[in-house]
Amino acid sequence: MHEFSIAEALATQVLRHAPEGALVRGVEIRVGALRALEPEALKMSWQAVTDGTPLAGADLQVDQRPWTITCSSCGRSWSSPKPFVECTCGNASPTPTGGDELDLVSITVDEEEP
Amino acid sequence: MSGETRTVRLPVVERILEANDDIAAVTRAELGRRGIFAIDLIGAPGSGKTALLEATLRLLAGRRRPAVLVGDLATRRDGDRLARWCERVVQISTGEGCHLEAGQVRDALGRLDLDGVDLLFIENVGNLICPVGFDLGQTAKVGLFSLTEGDDKAAKHPYLVTAADLILLNKIDLEPHLTFDRAGFMADVRLLNPSVPLLEVSAATGAGLDEWIAWLDRGVEATAARRG
Repeated sequence: MHEFSIAEALATQVLRHAPEGALVRGVEIRVGALRALEPEALKMSWQAVTDGTPLAGADLQVDQRPWTITCSSCGRSWSSPKPFVECTCGNASPTPTGGDELDLVSITVDEEEP
Repeated sequence: MSGETRTVRLPVVERILEANDDIAAVTRAELGRRGIFAIDLIGAPGSGKTALLEATLRLLAGRRRPAVLVGDLATRRDGDRLARWCERVVQISTGEGCHLEAGQVRDALGRLDLDGVDLLFIENVGNLICPVGFDLGQTAKVGLFSLTEGDDKAAKHPYLVTAADLILLNKIDLEPHLTFDRAGFMADVRLLNPSVPLLEVSAATGAGLDEWIAWLDRGVEATAARRG
């Protein structure tokens, strides 16, 4: 369950970036298709890791990037949640490519007005 | 007016595993400085990672100075098996951890005498998914599959196939007893990673291991050449 390690690393990182005294409301991450991360498992891990910490209750948003499928027969290119799909031209094995990014994208915080 | 709050979205854009990757980069630089070719061996439980390393260490005896790190959840069995063939073996017990992380490898390397070592095997925890995303500072990732796991495992684990510098298909001696579609397995590998070398081996009989040893020798020589 590598989701747990990732949630732990993310919590440390979010605390480092959040301005002092600010309440963290939300965290947005981007996950490449290759990572094979389960957003639900990641959210469960995030809840478990942040429970009882200053990050408790912060909403985790996972932007799961799709695969890009390119057909060498007809040249068509499209996005798909699955890597192995057929092309409408009849080609049974177009080429899947996916990213392996695993990035913190933004933190949403409540700050005191100056 | 003070005391009011406002909600602000702060863009960050940073790798989540940056802390792990930073440690791995230090390890990679240190291994490079020492001229050590380091393999992260990733495969499912029972794919034959330890058996492959046993056979490999036997074949390398007297020719190379290898060291081994073995990740395992709880037992010392793999480490004990490998210690029969290599004096520089460190077992890393990961407890609940389903994969090795860069800090564990760095700490384990600190317990090894690396003087003269030219080849490092890091046997990851048996798992085809979790270990792939954690950089350990290795020179090359090797993905180990086996006939007994079924011919769909490359297709079901695209990250490992894509990230691997070499794919090994183990237990080819069992082919007469199994229905394993080798052509289909290879087609899946090729679709995900058109250029990765793929070797068919049997750690049990030694079939195909000469090509694996030759691949290791080329890696060791290339690493030594980069060191200058």
